[in-house]
Amino acid sequence: MNFRRIAVFAALAFIAVFIAPAAPAPAAQDTILFGSPVSLTGALTKEGHLTQEGYEFWKSYVNSHGGIKVGGKTYKVDIKYYDDESKNETSAQLAERLIDQDHVNFILGPYGSGTAFTVAAIAERKKIPMVEGNGAAEKIFSQGFRYTFGVLSPAKRYLEGIVELGREKGAKTVAISAASDAFSLEVAKGAADYATAHGMTVVYNNKYPNDATDVSGVVTAIKAANPDIILNAGHLQDALLIHKALKEQSVSAKAYGYSVGPDTPDFVGALGKDANDVFGGAQWSDAVKYKADHPGFYDNAKDYAVAFEKVYHHRPDYHNAESSATCLAFEYAIEKAGSLDPDKVRDALAALDVTTFYGILKFDSRGLNVYKPMVVNQIQNGTLVTVFPTGLAEKKPIYPAPPWGSR
Amino acid sequence: MISLAGITGSRPALIGVVVAMIALLGIPAFHNGYIEIVFRNILMYAALSYGWNVLGGYTGYVSFGQVAFFGIGTYCSAVLSSHGITNIGAGIALAILVNAVVAIVLGIPILRLRGHYFGIATLGVALAIQDLAANIDALGGTSGLALKQFDESQFFWYYYAMWAVAAACLLVTWLVARSKLGYAFVAIRENEDAAVVLGVSPTRYKVIAWAIAGAMAGAAGAVFAPANGFIDPSIAFEVDNNVFPIVMTLLGGIGTVAGPFVGALILAGVNEILQRFFVKIHTLFFGAMIVLVVMFLPRGIVALIGMRGGWRGFRRSLGAYRV
Amino acid sequence: MEFAQDVINGILAGGILAVAALGFSLVWGIMNIINLAHGAFIMLGAYCAFELFTRFHIDPFISVPIAFALLFVLGYLIQRFVINYVVRAPVLTTFLLTFGLSLLIVNIALLIWTGDTRGVSPSYVGANFSIGPLTVSWAKLWTLIVALAITGFMALWLGRSRMGRAIRATAIDVGAAQLAGVRVAHVYAVTFGLGTGLAGAAGALLSLSYGINPTMGDPFLIKSFVVCVLGGLGSVQGALIGGLVYGIVEGLAPLIHVTLWGQDLSGSGLQNVIALAVLLFVLIVRPTGIMGRATA
Repeated sequence: MNFRRIAVFAALAFIAVFIAPAAPAPAAQDTILFGSPVSLTGALTKEGHLTQEGYEFWKSYVNSHGGIKVGGKTYKVDIKYYDDESKNETSAQLAERLIDQDHVNFILGPYGSGTAFTVAAIAERKKIPMVEGNGAAEKIFSQGFRYTFGVLSPAKRYLEGIVELGREKGAKTVAISAASDAFSLEVAKGAADYATAHGMTVVYNNKYPNDATDVSGVVTAIKAANPDIILNAGHLQDALLIHKALKEQSVSAKAYGYSVGPDTPDFVGALGKDANDVFGGAQWSDAVKYKADHPGFYDNAKDYAVAFEKVYHHRPDYHNAESSATCLAFEYAIEKAGSLDPDKVRDALAALDVTTFYGILKFDSRGLNVYKPMVVNQIQNGTLVTVFPTGLAEKKPIYPAPPWGSR
Repeated sequence: MISLAGITGSRPALIGVVVAMIALLGIPAFHNGYIEIVFRNILMYAALSYGWNVLGGYTGYVSFGQVAFFGIGTYCSAVLSSHGITNIGAGIALAILVNAVVAIVLGIPILRLRGHYFGIATLGVALAIQDLAANIDALGGTSGLALKQFDESQFFWYYYAMWAVAAACLLVTWLVARSKLGYAFVAIRENEDAAVVLGVSPTRYKVIAWAIAGAMAGAAGAVFAPANGFIDPSIAFEVDNNVFPIVMTLLGGIGTVAGPFVGALILAGVNEILQRFFVKIHTLFFGAMIVLVVMFLPRGIVALIGMRGGWRGFRRSLGAYRV
Repeated sequence: MEFAQDVINGILAGGILAVAALGFSLVWGIMNIINLAHGAFIMLGAYCAFELFTRFHIDPFISVPIAFALLFVLGYLIQRFVINYVVRAPVLTTFLLTFGLSLLIVNIALLIWTGDTRGVSPSYVGANFSIGPLTVSWAKLWTLIVALAITGFMALWLGRSRMGRAIRATAIDVGAAQLAGVRVAHVYAVTFGLGTGLAGAAGALLSLSYGINPTMGDPFLIKSFVVCVLGGLGSVQGALIGGLVYGIVEGLAPLIHVTLWGQDLSGSGLQNVIALAVLLFVLIVRPTGIMGRATA
């Protein structure tokens, strides 16, 4: 056995497998192919799967209801996924692969602001429209990209509703802690700006490292500032750490709000009773009272939620909904454009103005959906209910939250 | 006993690498953006691996902080871009300069540490520099910086720039390995105290090694940044870019000239293929593959190519590190 | 007052870091293996606590010895049948191997438990008591006590017991140990098992305050690196002191405020920079760590 020959063979085989473009997928006639890099492994696995569920749910609905009408023909829909391992550059690479190798027609966005940004840059360069529903950082939309659209409300709005709710109830001081990533910082800044603009005082506004394993220092400082409202812009792990630390150091506030956490069942699961009365900012909840003004999908949030739960055995959260809404934007734009030409679809997206189960889908000149309000949810007795804005609420908010000692 | 030929490593492997590099010049002819990215990344990892190899393989100082230099390189390009300078060469030059200075300044205190302690200090440096970048608004903070890119028709220049960087790393490593500098490095690796007695000034040579390593990583970063179009602290100081060069160099063959390239090609290549066929569990297979390769080929693949004795020689080699 | 509270918080946090780092330090110092899968083993320990709590309502503190035992067995088997192939290779080879192992373990965990974040919520979480204006969390205090107990026990055991002495002998000189009748393969496996067992114990303790998911171990791996070196490799007391020092530094970091080039920087976002500065300072003054001995 001459290892050298084996090595040479192996090397050649390698390069061959590589360069041979992926076997032309039986791009079935009359199929619109979407491509999506999602985080199926890595730190954002959970959210990546939620995103994929939302896309798949829409796909099976559309395919079982005749497909999408383009011009005179009806097309079926297919979606190709790759795992970006929750990494920004991987997402970008995969987007290139989807476009150059798999020849997808359009891109459905990944999960997360960092990944969405890098994929948007690729979409722009290749002039392929991309719609995303899971990256809310405004920097994605301040680069002058014309081919990227986001159906979700911008990051800075995430905690505004909670601040407003508190303000209406007489709260005067706010403390904000943020993780050190672009999205969380934008959320924190939005909340701080809103509070100051409406006559409240921000008594604490600092950030902590992304991989913090202990946030007691942050909580100690917040305790010293004695705020009415305690807000956190971070991720599930931080939300858990902070909430536990707040209890440990007996820091009671009139309201607690987290940008990420309360909406996931994991939050209640991990905190039990301590999760009660916590507010969360959400892009959507299944209690919102929108009524779709365009046929072709579920009429309202409740119908969507019931059907979704039948398939996936869990209540849909806003990540599912915004992903389905992402696809809807494409569906309606393609129908309106009457063609699969990227530029025509792009223009149709820019002009879109439709109400769906998720809310209004309309984009400003930067591609951002500033027209849809955020909702505020609250955990009451272990269940998540929508409490704000009043027009969309299903229950009244509990304010102030009872102090720690008396729970 | 080190044979002088052992410093450069197996000759057939080296020839193979040169041939492969020449073949890689042809990639842009395929006009396929995805394939270009794949091989551009392989070249980038090769450059990073060469950088690590100079310090870790030849001088024996294992660094867990190479990504710091890569990151600095990306920021060099990004800052130039924000001032309107998009020339790739300028980015590379600045990255090399800044990294050399950083390596010298940090090297003098840190290279006094030995072995494991040096490794951790470099890890600390990488983490600290990442933190600093995330906190300094002028560098974009956590939001990062966007870079002006060439259009689609000129995009292939990034590929050639990365090729040039990788080729330069290969050449420099080969030249160093055959020069007095290379012997000094190996002397330090084998027995630093004896080297001192023989008149080799370790601090001077260690700093040179680190500066070379930093320059290589920085040059790769300077090309990566505009090709990617955007960098932020998590991209610039990505943990993978720290670990992969070590993994690739080890798999390929540490302390050789062909090793880093072979390791980069194989590891990145296998990763791509796994991704294509096992969308959900490719990382699992990747991990299993690494475990198996290390268990059965502990001296790297280049050693396998140079191994004599066929199958039986291979089986005998299995017992070398057991207890 | 904030200062005192921060110091207390730091000490409490440092206890866990110490237990987490102890296993890592033993394996590195004695077997010269950098176990990159250490974070993954911590994660498995946390999941042990989770499963025991959710299925059998076993309190996490009681899970600690169970997690230790389970992870010990796992570690023993992994060392005996996988790592043993290359245990005498240069440290980087095992580094690479454990890198692959960590990928394997994390992804298998992902398949078994999915990416959802879990937690344990025994009723006493958050309970605390006050000393004057300072608050101390019961759960964290008990964690620190357990950490001290584990460290003390390990130090005694390594110093006095037969196996402990065999381990130390093997670390000093394998050949001599073999001549003295030590079964080296078994000793190595026990040592590695101890490392993973301690990681499992740390994970079980962590489950009280930290969300549990397959990638939760990463930050603890990095901190274990730093704590080990800070305290001195292979030294049990070193891991404890390193952990406490690191915890205190992290706890005090938010109190630092600097203005640099017109920008306000707060220590709470610069924890890594501060930790590095402390580490470098210690290493320059004592190159083998606070309690370390110079090793070849």
